[in-house]
Amino acid sequence: MATFLLEIRTEEIPAAALPGARRQLEELFSARLAEAGFADFDITPLSTSRRLSVVVENLPDRQADRAEELTGPPLSVAVDANGNPTPAGEGFARKVGLPFDEVGQIETGKGEYLAATVVHPGRPTSEILAETAPKVVVALRFPKMMRWGDGTHIFVRPVHGVVALLDDEVVPVEIFGVAAGRSTVGHRVHSPKAFELETAEGYAETMIERGVVVDPAERRRRLEALAETLASKADARVHPDPELMAEHVELVEWPGLIAGTFDERLLELPPEVVVTTLRYHQKCLILENGDNGLQNAFIGVIDRKDDPEGLIRQGNEWVIGARLADAGFFFAEDRKHTLADLVPGLERLEFHRVLGSLAEKAARVGQLATAFANALDVNVARDQLSAAAGLAKADLLTHMVGEFPELQGVMGGHYLRLEGADEGLWTAVRDHYTPVGFEGEVPDSEAGKLLGVADRLDTVAGLFAVGERPSGSKDPFGLRRAAQGAVKIVAEAGWEVDLNEMIQGAAGAFADYSKDGKEAVADAVTAFVANRVRRWLTDIVGVSGDTADAVMAAGWSNLPAAVVRAEALERVRTSENFRALALAFKRVRNITDGQPDLGVDPELFEADEERELHETTVEFEKKLQTLLPDKKVEEAFAAMEPIADILERFFVEVLVMCEDERVRDNRIALLKKMGRKFMELADLSRLQVEGGEL
Amino acid sequence: MARLGGTLDLQTLILDLQRYWADCGCIIQQPYDVEVGAGTMHPESFLRVLGPEPYRVAYVQPSRRPADARYGKNPFRLGRHLQLQVILKPSPDNVQELYLKSLGALGIDPAVHDIRFEEDNWESPTLGAWGVGWQVLLDGMEITQFTYFQQAGGIELSPVSAELTYGLERIAMFLQRKDSIYDIEWGGGVTYGAVRLEDEREASIYGFEVADVEVLRRHFEDWESEAKRCLEHEPPLVIPAVEAALKMSHLFNLLEARGAISVTERVGLIARVRRNAVAAARASLEQREALGFPLAGDLDIPSGEAD
Repeated sequence: MATFLLEIRTEEIPAAALPGARRQLEELFSARLAEAGFADFDITPLSTSRRLSVVVENLPDRQADRAEELTGPPLSVAVDANGNPTPAGEGFARKVGLPFDEVGQIETGKGEYLAATVVHPGRPTSEILAETAPKVVVALRFPKMMRWGDGTHIFVRPVHGVVALLDDEVVPVEIFGVAAGRSTVGHRVHSPKAFELETAEGYAETMIERGVVVDPAERRRRLEALAETLASKADARVHPDPELMAEHVELVEWPGLIAGTFDERLLELPPEVVVTTLRYHQKCLILENGDNGLQNAFIGVIDRKDDPEGLIRQGNEWVIGARLADAGFFFAEDRKHTLADLVPGLERLEFHRVLGSLAEKAARVGQLATAFANALDVNVARDQLSAAAGLAKADLLTHMVGEFPELQGVMGGHYLRLEGADEGLWTAVRDHYTPVGFEGEVPDSEAGKLLGVADRLDTVAGLFAVGERPSGSKDPFGLRRAAQGAVKIVAEAGWEVDLNEMIQGAAGAFADYSKDGKEAVADAVTAFVANRVRRWLTDIVGVSGDTADAVMAAGWSNLPAAVVRAEALERVRTSENFRALALAFKRVRNITDGQPDLGVDPELFEADEERELHETTVEFEKKLQTLLPDKKVEEAFAAMEPIADILERFFVEVLVMCEDERVRDNRIALLKKMGRKFMELADLSRLQVEGGEL
Repeated sequence: MARLGGTLDLQTLILDLQRYWADCGCIIQQPYDVEVGAGTMHPESFLRVLGPEPYRVAYVQPSRRPADARYGKNPFRLGRHLQLQVILKPSPDNVQELYLKSLGALGIDPAVHDIRFEEDNWESPTLGAWGVGWQVLLDGMEITQFTYFQQAGGIELSPVSAELTYGLERIAMFLQRKDSIYDIEWGGGVTYGAVRLEDEREASIYGFEVADVEVLRRHFEDWESEAKRCLEHEPPLVIPAVEAALKMSHLFNLLEARGAISVTERVGLIARVRRNAVAAARASLEQREALGFPLAGDLDIPSGEAD
């Protein structure tokens, strides 16, 4: 069995592109090799910042021979009356490469035919690989491709070397004008000289000797171990940051670490500022004390084994000190005035070309939040809520947020806190941007939640009113995330409030902006929010799509209640009774949709099953009246179960669409009455169950 | 060899880099005498990267960014900073190596530092230009923008040029381990602050407080019409048209610093600058073609460069 190695040596490939490149390498190679008839090979994609590699083990030296059965002309055509081959017969013999005497015959349903087995010898694996490799590499797709030099080739970065070895033999390929060989280079610092790989086997081990860890999983392992050691030396722990770790793994050929410190006084900056500077701007790992406090220390990842003269640590310390001092400069500048001083400036800050300034938005949000507070009857000081709405966007005008846009809200909160504002006020301002979509925490304070929902619904309704609706992958104003954030707050806060009314309240402010009128805007926003609610039910609550549909059809504007119903239905729906109920309700719908409801008159019942169903419905109604106010939703669903049998009997014995119009209307009314009761919980006809085609 | 914290002053830094790139076959050009926001806008970059003619050039370009000005009070920010710009066309195979050696010329020995090339793509909507590349980090400090130009003036580039932009004050500050730009040693015992502090302060006051928005807007219109006239001239006047577009770009930057441009208006103004920049680029390419691409042919690249 042979081992194949392909290494494409490039200039530094973007970290974000590498995981996808490895996946493509594996998939494309596997597919092509399988097509060529290879099986049971092991394929390992590898990469560093400066090379893409793939190792294929357990390849045979050549393809297996392939036998092909060929059928020729009928014997009657291939041989003439004298038993000699005709031109057609000779032609077939030539085609299969045999003397005519050695060509066989087979009996088919239609008579005797010439036939022969042709053996196609398998081609050498090397030949197959020489064809496959360039095709695979050229087919790789990257988020951003480029040309270089004379502009002939397109790839993620310029290609400088290709190694293609099948065991110890060079596979003759040319990729982007570079002929493959066995020569490669090691780490830029530790082993920059070109050297030759003797064989494909042991590639990863050989490269480690040359200062290159080609396996990303191994780089991650090393990085984590190094970080662990450094942290324990500092009597701290590394703040878990899988995303940043994953990026560092892709950014290096040999992962190394340095530990550094910065001036302790810089810890007086808000911790978010320190973290943003270290984490997002310098890609440092953050060290934490036992109590989650920050240390004036950082861990930097370097692409080499060591810091021989301490210059790397010094340099990084200088940069981090400078960056934090820079942030400190902006912080001090901002502190020269109060946040409230900036509020008039919001009049000049555009929210949207048509919808006006952020000052106008702040006013709308304040009113909306207050209306929500009144509807919810929550204990929030209304003047504080208005004040928070007025101040919430002011930090957009601070130097700090200008520099660190991701700290919007956070900085406003800090400045207000430092000014001695009430905790309810500064936390509301701080928290009103979270969660982002479904990610992140819902604000602790009622004011923060109210402000958050009002701000988002105002944004969505306003932009819908002026026609800036998301379409496909385009959502430049982040309206999906905004609506998701509102849904998450309402759901997790357990606000049993009419979400439709909230939406209408938000849309009311934009009646003049939309040519379709306020109602149309509210309807469009409601449909948009409904989609986010469904997503909340399926992705976060974790119910199946049809459960969400069934529950939402019965109403979702009381979101917490819809969540409880969805959870309950998801649990009970697996029973046989619910399968039967779902089928029965599809039938009920088919029969009753579009029919008048003239009320049930028990005098008109003819069959026992009608009376039984009616009694059951009345009983069920009573049960709901006691169970639902107590939120015993699961019991309410359980109370449905026995009705499955009764409905089944009803449909067996009773012909709803009978001749007598009064009897028929009465039966329809009975089914409708029962359906209405069920619809307080869910529209079971939306459940997809086996036999659902009935 | 390492001169960290030592005496590599700003002018020596510039002279060393220019010497190095001259030895690599670059013409040493001079700063453009029209206000620009970046070295890329110098016609020696913006126009030379078009068409088939090989070219190598290096120059210092003072780059004006009025919105970044900080009244001389912020130790890290300037409204006008110095870039050293290098264009290598076509991008040579060993361009990374050449770049790393340029650091060696400044006494930065890659063997004892952590030098990284991290993805950072570049785009200039006003120039209709974009490229793919990296920011180069030296021990965590961004010292160079490294770009493979893919498009300029809306024109696909072939051959592709490599553009290296060194942020000179940053590098000097880092090498001298100074806590403020204004403490950088410029040369001959004179500090950066002694040379520049006052004009930074004044430029900030002008840009943020004094500049007359109406006048700036009017000049924007004026230069737009001049650009148009140059382009409509038969044959088109390429460099005057580019200069008019650069004027527009600078006026736009001033207006923006002044807070006079709304988000919506911004897009429209940028498009107006781009229209002229793109038209000037086309005219330039046609002009070079009409001249028979006189610089076409092999570049005289010094031997020994590739080792």
